[in-house]
Amino acid sequence: MSTDHDKAKAFVGRLLQNPSLRDFSELQREEQIIQFLHVNAAQLGPTLSTPQFFAGKNWNQIFSILLNALYELVNDELLPKLEELIRSKLDLAFLRHMRQTRVDDELVQKQLIAFATDVLKKPDARRNFTGAYSALVFGIADRYLTVAFDQKKYVHFELTKVQRLRMNKEETRNFVRLTLLLRPIVNLGMSTAATQQERSTGMVQSQFAEKVMHTAKSEMKYIPEQALKSAVDASLSFNENRFVEATSRLAAIFAARSRSYQPNMRVDRGADSPDKSWISVSRRNYKYYGFDIKMLDELYKIAAENNW
Amino acid sequence: MGTRTRNVLENIVLAAIILVLLQTLFEDLAVVLDWSIGVRRVLLIFGFFFDLFFTVEFVVRSYEAWRYGRLGNYFWYERGWIDLLASIPLLLLNSGPAVLAILAGGVSVVGVAGMLNVLKVVKAIRIARVLRLLRVLKIFRRIKNAESVMAQRHVAMISATTVSVFVLVLLAATMVEAFVSAPSLDARYQQHSFDMIELISSDQMRRAPALRTSLLKMDSAVLLVRDSGSVVFSRHPDSYYLRHFGPGDYGYIEARGVELFVDLRPINQEQSATNIRYFVVIIAIVLIYMFVYSPHFAMTVSDPIHIMRRGMSEKAYNLEVIVPGQYRHDDVYELSKLYNEVFLPMKDRSSGDETEVSALKMDDLKDMFE
Repeated sequence: MSTDHDKAKAFVGRLLQNPSLRDFSELQREEQIIQFLHVNAAQLGPTLSTPQFFAGKNWNQIFSILLNALYELVNDELLPKLEELIRSKLDLAFLRHMRQTRVDDELVQKQLIAFATDVLKKPDARRNFTGAYSALVFGIADRYLTVAFDQKKYVHFELTKVQRLRMNKEETRNFVRLTLLLRPIVNLGMSTAATQQERSTGMVQSQFAEKVMHTAKSEMKYIPEQALKSAVDASLSFNENRFVEATSRLAAIFAARSRSYQPNMRVDRGADSPDKSWISVSRRNYKYYGFDIKMLDELYKIAAENNW
Repeated sequence: MGTRTRNVLENIVLAAIILVLLQTLFEDLAVVLDWSIGVRRVLLIFGFFFDLFFTVEFVVRSYEAWRYGRLGNYFWYERGWIDLLASIPLLLLNSGPAVLAILAGGVSVVGVAGMLNVLKVVKAIRIARVLRLLRVLKIFRRIKNAESVMAQRHVAMISATTVSVFVLVLLAATMVEAFVSAPSLDARYQQHSFDMIELISSDQMRRAPALRTSLLKMDSAVLLVRDSGSVVFSRHPDSYYLRHFGPGDYGYIEARGVELFVDLRPINQEQSATNIRYFVVIIAIVLIYMFVYSPHFAMTVSDPIHIMRRGMSEKAYNLEVIVPGQYRHDDVYELSKLYNEVFLPMKDRSSGDETEVSALKMDDLKDMFE
């Protein structure tokens, strides 16, 4: 006789295999399923509480069982992919520009894998990581940075002259990738009592960011302070903190964009492209989300030129 | 009636519409190119069966609509009036009489007195055949770039209006011509025939048969002359008449024992050539509406509305409407600008932390719960 957990895994596994979710990243699929369970609770509750499924359990209990099964199944897929991403797709050579002493990449990679494993234990952090992870999976940051470096306009100026990164294009792309990977660092210390705006924009207050930075420095010794600061500041509003690094501002935009990114999305005739539409809306809401409007302007032009 | 059966029937009707258009074109082409009477007979009989088919279709559709209390809706809003105009009048006034004439095997124009008026009425009826083209509007439903019901309705409306006005004005003009004496090729032809019978039936000509034959030879409209029952002149051998002449291709006048058969094919050919011109003009109009105006309407009216409707009804839909510079002052695009610049940003802010709407549907689990 199968246990509730097995049944839940079978049920959730079936949802994960649904063809309509095929193109999404693992965390996007997870969000889709959680949303599906929330929206259809009224219909699913009575059916799933029958003897065939979870006899005698109320919806909250069933939801909890399903959620744990979902996290487990998603982690089974996600953790190996994250490890592969960290070990083979994230070139950490750029870190040499940020510290005096040499640190073995293996130690950094292990710390990053441990961080990712920790992040995935917290539901809020998982949610915050969805956009950043999808940006890494779909290569959103890479494609924009490639064009921005070629065009050498505002984004390039901010990265090379203001943030003073002495890195080439590939190294800068890896720095932004690392920033995206570490972005949910703020969630590791965040209380569940975050304000509505903090939850909806993913932004935090600067005092809180300082505390996170302080803790992170002591706990993630192999990651240079500059990289940690870039990741923590990626959750700060640029409108309230004008010193936020260019890599952080870019990571904030790419993470927000990628959260709702749908690869192979069918665009209706007469509608603008998905990226262009998203950036256009974000330009109008830049204050609310704390984005850098000039960066959005440049990314908008890049999206328009490339029909992204 | 099941959806599948209905689709099969609709496809049969669609095929019939395309075939009847070809039949209409070929029927006139056969007259212009002087194809053999056998081929023209086959085309006429096909035309009759198509008219019968569309008449039955109209009656069935009307009955169905009446049964469900929506006859007015069918007639006025679902273009039932086109179904009517392109079926019963054609059956009763065009293909029906033509097939009856074939079955009777006789001439369609009898007697001197009725000849002129009958020819004019026949001419008017032949113009009515162009009404068949209105049925092509049904194909609008199948046009790929006009999926929007509104786009279909607007384009069908404007096409139906243009085509029906064109055809009805032609019909009215021909009817007026039939009852108002005016100089025309037909009238001249008829007058010439009257003059000819007067001349060849005169005592003077009857007494000079060689002169009469020479005169008849010179007039290409004269086919055959009989005097007191005996053939005194024939332009072609009998086999030629059998092969090339059917009802309506010749006229018959009799005076003082002399019978004159005149060739009406030049008039018919002229009329058929005119019909083909009308046919081509109407086809061109309909095709232009279909392939030029319809996409334009879809792109500048129904597409932006479709995008805005999705944006307003679907939580996860956030694509902006492209506002073309040349149409930016159109009402639709003014509204689109508000949608892009006000509605979407507001919707984005108000959606907050909510995840996008799930791509999953309850139906996806149907078999699990069964």
